[in-house]
Amino acid sequence: MPAGHGLRSRTRDLFSRPFRKKGYIPLSTYLRTYKIGDYVDVKVNGAVHKGMPHKFYHGRTGRVWNITKRAIGVEVNKQVGNRIIRKRIHVRVEHVQPSRCTEEFKLRKIKNDQLKAEAKAKGEVISTKRQPEGPKPGFMVEGAMLETVTPIPYDVVNDLKGGY
Amino acid sequence: MPYVKAQKSKAYFKRYQVKFKRRREGKTDYRARNRLINQDKNKYNTPKYRLVARFTNKDIVAQIIHASISGDIVLAAAYAHELPRYGLEVGLTNYAAAYCVGLLLARRTLKQLEMDAEYEGNVEATGEDFTVEPAETRRPFRALLDVGLIRTTTGNRVFGVLKGALDGGIDIPHSDKRFAGFNKDSKQLDPEVHRKYIYGGHVAAYMRNLMEDEPEKYQSHFSEYIKRSIEPDTIEGMYKKVHAAIRASPEAKKSEKAPTKEHKRYNLKKLSYEERKAKLIDRLKALNSAAGVDNDSDEDD
Repeated sequence: MPAGHGLRSRTRDLFSRPFRKKGYIPLSTYLRTYKIGDYVDVKVNGAVHKGMPHKFYHGRTGRVWNITKRAIGVEVNKQVGNRIIRKRIHVRVEHVQPSRCTEEFKLRKIKNDQLKAEAKAKGEVISTKRQPEGPKPGFMVEGAMLETVTPIPYDVVNDLKGGY
Repeated sequence: MPYVKAQKSKAYFKRYQVKFKRRREGKTDYRARNRLINQDKNKYNTPKYRLVARFTNKDIVAQIIHASISGDIVLAAAYAHELPRYGLEVGLTNYAAAYCVGLLLARRTLKQLEMDAEYEGNVEATGEDFTVEPAETRRPFRALLDVGLIRTTTGNRVFGVLKGALDGGIDIPHSDKRFAGFNKDSKQLDPEVHRKYIYGGHVAAYMRNLMEDEPEKYQSHFSEYIKRSIEPDTIEGMYKKVHAAIRASPEAKKSEKAPTKEHKRYNLKKLSYEERKAKLIDRLKALNSAAGVDNDSDEDD
């Protein structure tokens, strides 16, 4: 029999639920709210059969462009041939998680605003740009023992272990 | 001892997946809860309120709750043990008391939301099916009935709570199929029978029955009623007064409780991470000083 290429082909392990996490899915997935423009991760939940994305989108992150009663429209990048297309899919909320990719950026934004406000109050000019890690500073090596290593002359007797 | 084959092997325990905690306790039906809580995503943060009605052996609990990730939030609650404040002291878990609790909860939430002047609901309880009409300025407060794990049979007391809340002015989608007095054959609600139940008519009928046939059982069963000299004929009047009192002042009253005493601790208190680490360092120090070796630098890793 030839190999099928159906919608859910080769997803035996990908869509299976993790060990000891089968059955009812926790209700917090239904209580989360999403807004247009949020970043979300697409992660298929094999327990819910409706509104499943295709296996290609499992593990992708995209932005929300549409919200309906029970599903969310996500815009995901897909490479087709020599170009990247922005694909729009609709996925039920059980297969979506809020993404943490922008979390660090959002926190930094808040902190920078705070720092800038403080600096403005004090009247000093600060730069909130991130600097890349520079080269490591120099240091003195402490407590090093000098050990001279020389090659030892070849010894036939030692190398033939019991074989002669 | 005879050899007993072990039923639950180590493998069994390793592979066992526990159900959700509240399911293990047998308190929550997650299938129903899922459908009650799920809010349309295009309604964003609009809360979905549910009217929770639970019965214990001696009390009735009615709450308006909406769900959140950190835990459900109760908007307002009403208990049957508050009814003595309105003049009802006996029969706190019967159908009539359930109606009173539902009514109390509805008036309380509407007063809290300052909608009680607009939505009077059904002032005179007639037992007919009553649905709130939307007023001009604000739409009615909407909640969904959450029965929990009880079997929804016709005439169940949770529907007494439902009827009380409806007559109080809350919009709850329902049908009259499960109210007391619904006739299965004719598929119609008999409002007279329902009205009888709301005013405790069924209790009064039983009282009259016992007074005639078994006076001793009447004395033992309805002893609290007799103590407060409540006759079968006065029951309806009593409930009418309770309804009026509820509508007059539905606010919750804060109860004064004495500050809780400190009890003696019988089990060991769990130490925090820092406390346990400190304890370990002390133990090592003591060991090393006893052995006579000074190794303090090793413990501070």
